[in-house]
Amino acid sequence: METFLQLLGSGLALGAMYALIALGFVVIYRASQVFNFAQGDLLGLGAFLMVALNSAGLPWGLSLLVAMLLTGLVAAGIERAFLRPLIGRPVFVTIIITIFVGFLLRTFLVLVWGPQPYGMATPWDTSGSIDILGATVLLNAVAATVAGAIALTLFFLLIKYSRFGVAMRATASDQEAALALGIPVGRIFGATWFIAGAYAALAGIFLGMFPRSVDVNLGYIALRAFPAAVIGGLDSAAGAVIAGLALGVLEVMTQGYINPNLGHFGQNFHAVFPYVAMILFLIIRPYGLFGREEVKRV
Amino acid sequence: MPTRKLIVEYADDLVLFPDRWHKIGLVIWVSTMLAFPFVANHHWLTTGNLAMITIVGATSLMILTGFTGQISLGHAAFLAIGAYTAAVFGNRFGLPFWLILPLAGLLAALVGLCIGPFALRLEGLYLAIVTIGLLFLVNHVLLSFPQYTNGVVGIGVPVHSWFAGSDSGSMLSGFNNTSHVLGLELTFERKLYFLFLVLTLVTVAVATNIKRSASGRAMAAVRDHDVAAAVMGIDHARAKVTAFGVSSFFAGVAGAMFAFQQQYITVEPPFNMMMSIQYISIIVLGGMGTVFGAVAGAMVYTFLSPLLELIGRQLPFLSNLSSGQQSTMLFAIVVCGFLIFEPLGLFGIWLRIKRYFAGWPFRY
Repeated sequence: METFLQLLGSGLALGAMYALIALGFVVIYRASQVFNFAQGDLLGLGAFLMVALNSAGLPWGLSLLVAMLLTGLVAAGIERAFLRPLIGRPVFVTIIITIFVGFLLRTFLVLVWGPQPYGMATPWDTSGSIDILGATVLLNAVAATVAGAIALTLFFLLIKYSRFGVAMRATASDQEAALALGIPVGRIFGATWFIAGAYAALAGIFLGMFPRSVDVNLGYIALRAFPAAVIGGLDSAAGAVIAGLALGVLEVMTQGYINPNLGHFGQNFHAVFPYVAMILFLIIRPYGLFGREEVKRV
Repeated sequence: MPTRKLIVEYADDLVLFPDRWHKIGLVIWVSTMLAFPFVANHHWLTTGNLAMITIVGATSLMILTGFTGQISLGHAAFLAIGAYTAAVFGNRFGLPFWLILPLAGLLAALVGLCIGPFALRLEGLYLAIVTIGLLFLVNHVLLSFPQYTNGVVGIGVPVHSWFAGSDSGSMLSGFNNTSHVLGLELTFERKLYFLFLVLTLVTVAVATNIKRSASGRAMAAVRDHDVAAAVMGIDHARAKVTAFGVSSFFAGVAGAMFAFQQQYITVEPPFNMMMSIQYISIIVLGGMGTVFGAVAGAMVYTFLSPLLELIGRQLPFLSNLSSGQQSTMLFAIVVCGFLIFEPLGLFGIWLRIKRYFAGWPFRY
């Protein structure tokens, strides 16, 4: 039971990060039908900026906000420079361009910060932990879950109640109609990328904390968040969050309970598990949990 | 300069060689390829071999993505299956290369046919991400049976020209030994080169013929609009599954070729997502939906990489990067530029050159 709770705790923390990353994918996809493969590298950029700002002497909270802001601006810049000219082109074009932009971003990180890992400072005891119902949970994991929950709540409030959120939803459902109603669709694209970038930075910062560290390969974790976005349905924000949390918990549970029982095959099985779950799930529901089924006209 | 022959009937659209120039071009290309290994030094011969592996791999992806519109980011998985088939069957059973090559293709095609049904329900991005999953899964399986594949350590790939054991007693000398035919010295690399040349020509011929046959037209219809194609009476399920089967067959062959060329392979790198991305960008660079694009893209890519590495070494601010990263970065910039400014790729440039000369001295 104790192990179970412990696994649940760290699973939720990982899941919250998956949810944040997956939300970044979904926000952009809803607005512009682009799947942003560079999300992982934005995540790395956010974490590195945080490390840099923090070591430059800025207080922790402020550097968190500035890192999110800067990463958001970089994301919006990427949209303006690389993706705006490609509107209306086939899907694979945006796939390739985001992959390569991500690669350029990662190269930039190597050039500036080098390949060595950095520790992420925290205002609380970095390796401290607390007892919840008898299970030991890292403070970092608790903070990650809380930060994820706050960010997700803010996002849903924004989407639901603000004027801007309505404009975003309108753009997502029909770009041309939104344009005809006077919604600045281009600016909405920029704003969605900004939000996705900022959330990527947030996820990167919390993922870079103990027991992990910040290095250029931090972004690869976004590869593991793809299944969350797909299982949730690429155009459903709620789906991304639910699937992200579920996959985080399942992954940690797999690592704890299934890996040891599979012998050699079990080594690192948890790393491919989200993909196995995704493939099985897509057989049943090809558009994910809450994704809209596309109605095609000839 | 010659202009195109007037198209009068449908058969005119299907001929392999529309005019004399296509035949001349083919003859020039093939004779250049035949002469190449006797002119090039060891380094460039290796590059040539790699170019042909890339041509086969890119053509196979072109059948899937360019002809049928099914985006695959898991192409490296099929190459990995082919490569490991070559390694495992070569080591454990001592099979000769001419048996391993089709076997590698068939095994990869089997996996491709298993993935095909997913493609019937999934589209675009969903399919792309499922194929990434396939790549991870295949690599995981390859790593988790170290008794066959040696796991992360990697495995040597022998090239037998006859069933191992009887190798020394057979009429044929071992593949690795240098032999002399008609006064020409055939080293291991040169033998591989001619083997690869045959395989490349076969692949290109098959792809060209698929494109101009009924199944190729069905694929193109499915790519352009699968519902519309189904309404027209095209069995879109069959077209997609065929594309997956044929594509993964040749990808498996390319993988086996790669294993023969490298002689020692590990799972990742090279068979990671970067390889899949490289193949996708090669066909984008060359021009989507054309065999010319796959061949041109692959050749430019392979011969450009050493050049890019050379340029990368000259740029002072890149000194922090490994040479592989430098060339990949420059390649990324080239591909991004092509995507934004020249959507048709090298094929588009070629078309423009051709039109210019066809209309010469007039501008249009």
